Amino acid sequence: MEAVAAKLPVAYGERQARAATAFLSPALLVVSIMLVAPLLLVIRFSLNRYDPQELMIEAFTGANYLRFVSDPFYVAVLRTTLGVAFATTVICLLLGLPMAYRLARMTSRWKTFCMLCIVLPLFVSSVVRMVGWMILFAHGGVIDNLARWVTGNGLELMFTPFAVVMGIVSVNLPYVVLTVQSTIETIDPRVEEAAQSLGAAPGRSFWRVVWPLALPGIAIAGILCFILAMNAYATPYLLGGPRFQMMAPLIYQVFTNNNDWPFASAMAIILMATTLVLTAGSSLLIPRRYRG
Amino acid sequence: MSDAFRLPRRALLGGAAALPLLGRGASAEETMVIATWGGDYANLLKANVEEPLMKPQQIAVTQDINDEDPRVAKMYASRRLPRGADDVISLQAVRGHEVGAAGLVEAIDVANVPNLAHVLPNLKSPFYAPHIWSPQVIIYNPDKVKEPPKTFTDLLDPKYKGRVGVGDINYFYIMMAAALAATGDVNKVDAPETKALALKLNANGLRLYPSTDSIGAGIKSGEIDVGIMWLARVIMWQNAGIPVKAQFQTEGSVLYISGMVVPKNAPNKPAAWKYLNAMLEPSAQTRFAERMGYLPTVDNCKLTGKVGEQLALPDPAPKLAPPNYDITGTLQGPLSEWWKKNMQA
Repeated sequence: MEAVAAKLPVAYGERQARAATAFLSPALLVVSIMLVAPLLLVIRFSLNRYDPQELMIEAFTGANYLRFVSDPFYVAVLRTTLGVAFATTVICLLLGLPMAYRLARMTSRWKTFCMLCIVLPLFVSSVVRMVGWMILFAHGGVIDNLARWVTGNGLELMFTPFAVVMGIVSVNLPYVVLTVQSTIETIDPRVEEAAQSLGAAPGRSFWRVVWPLALPGIAIAGILCFILAMNAYATPYLLGGPRFQMMAPLIYQVFTNNNDWPFASAMAIILMATTLVLTAGSSLLIPRRYRG
Repeated sequence: MSDAFRLPRRALLGGAAALPLLGRGASAEETMVIATWGGDYANLLKANVEEPLMKPQQIAVTQDINDEDPRVAKMYASRRLPRGADDVISLQAVRGHEVGAAGLVEAIDVANVPNLAHVLPNLKSPFYAPHIWSPQVIIYNPDKVKEPPKTFTDLLDPKYKGRVGVGDINYFYIMMAAALAATGDVNKVDAPETKALALKLNANGLRLYPSTDSIGAGIKSGEIDVGIMWLARVIMWQNAGIPVKAQFQTEGSVLYISGMVVPKNAPNKPAAWKYLNAMLEPSAQTRFAERMGYLPTVDNCKLTGKVGEQLALPDPAPKLAPPNYDITGTLQGPLSEWWKKNMQA
């Protein structure tokens, strides 16, 4: 009997594992075909050589990677992309945290309406939203005319880094708010009340109680925002103009204008690797005891 | 079991094989594909070439609309396929001659395309059928600029600082204009003097616009007073009420030419020849002149009335500078890289 009892959990565990595998298989298959296979193809392309007439010559060379890291222009574009992504992430977290906290703790009937206001921009294509920003920022646009009316001088924001950062913030902010809000929702308000009953001021109770508990969710929101900003295409293209270079539009330009698929593939891998390394590294910033 | 209702296998297969033939017999219509730009250009092709001139010949045309660069990339990528996807491909002359030099397109002649006999002498090519053309000019807002700049170097005047705009996508034509002014040779787009002149213009606060249309918007909003653009666009913008006039450069004007090629692996070459012939018909050429302001590429299309007046070249005739495409075709890639790193940066 003892032997049978000892085997039971193992058999049960195996059954569970088999069931889990069966359930996961379709998703894994789709991911493998739709994501991993093209990725492997891009890695392979990045090792080929470019020829203006043949387009791509089969090779196994690291020349495209070397070209990127040895050319100050491309390194500067990567630096700009990182700068914009960091700035966007910081601004989104600064703006999004108070909004998320207030929403999570809101009990009035307006909560649904407020949630809707945050989700609503996601219903509109980011390109359409950028057109709205263009009308605001353009020469003779709303902000320019307002500044001219108030100060006598125009204020041209179109094709500036400020316009790009604001555009990406507007796209990413709802993701940050929703992610952080859902994390704070899981934190029992009574732990804050307990802290305050022990004499902690509201700010101190947030900092010492809510912040550590919400940190994994905040980190995920930050990472999500950072990844989206690193790969932004429409916003820098439309609001940054031809002189403002970020990685995603540049990859597209190299791919389509120059037809240089190997170099564009190498750039894509470098962008992906940079994003992955920084994302993985960011988890080190969270103290071990707070990691989810 | 009786075999009375069993369909013989051979009969079934034979019937299935004959079905497409039945379909062909019923419609008796050929099909062909043209890869081209969208917008007004595609609409005008449909309204003035495909509907009135191709349809009566029982040829149904499908438009494959995309940008020029992907079209060229597709040509290179599918060069070894025995059967390509497109029968006719619209390209600017620089790109058309580039793919021609790469051996990707068929030769054209009057035996296949009779209207080629009417193509203007300076636009003739062994494999590129020119469709429309326009000289590149200096454009200016007459309300703001009383004495228009007459040469490319006039744009370096400090009074135009931050007031000159060009299209980023037209970089090759801007560099050809700079080459003409700096060296007297439109083909020397990569000469050090040409690049130095372009960099001086950039240092004078040159505004780069992402599209051709945004230059017109820049003039209209007062963001810029001066620019470089083809005459056809000036006429379109004038018709749209934008305050803009054209000035031919004294050193000469670069030609913007748009046309068509037939890939070597085009699936339906006879239809492609008919398409080229149709787009060179005076009736189609006149409509493109009226609607888009481009000049006809054939000598048997005489423009009259308002469009004739608008498109008439000034007297004395301006100096026109057609490039040697054998030279410029090889410089597209390197110049694109230079522009990106030096003018955009």
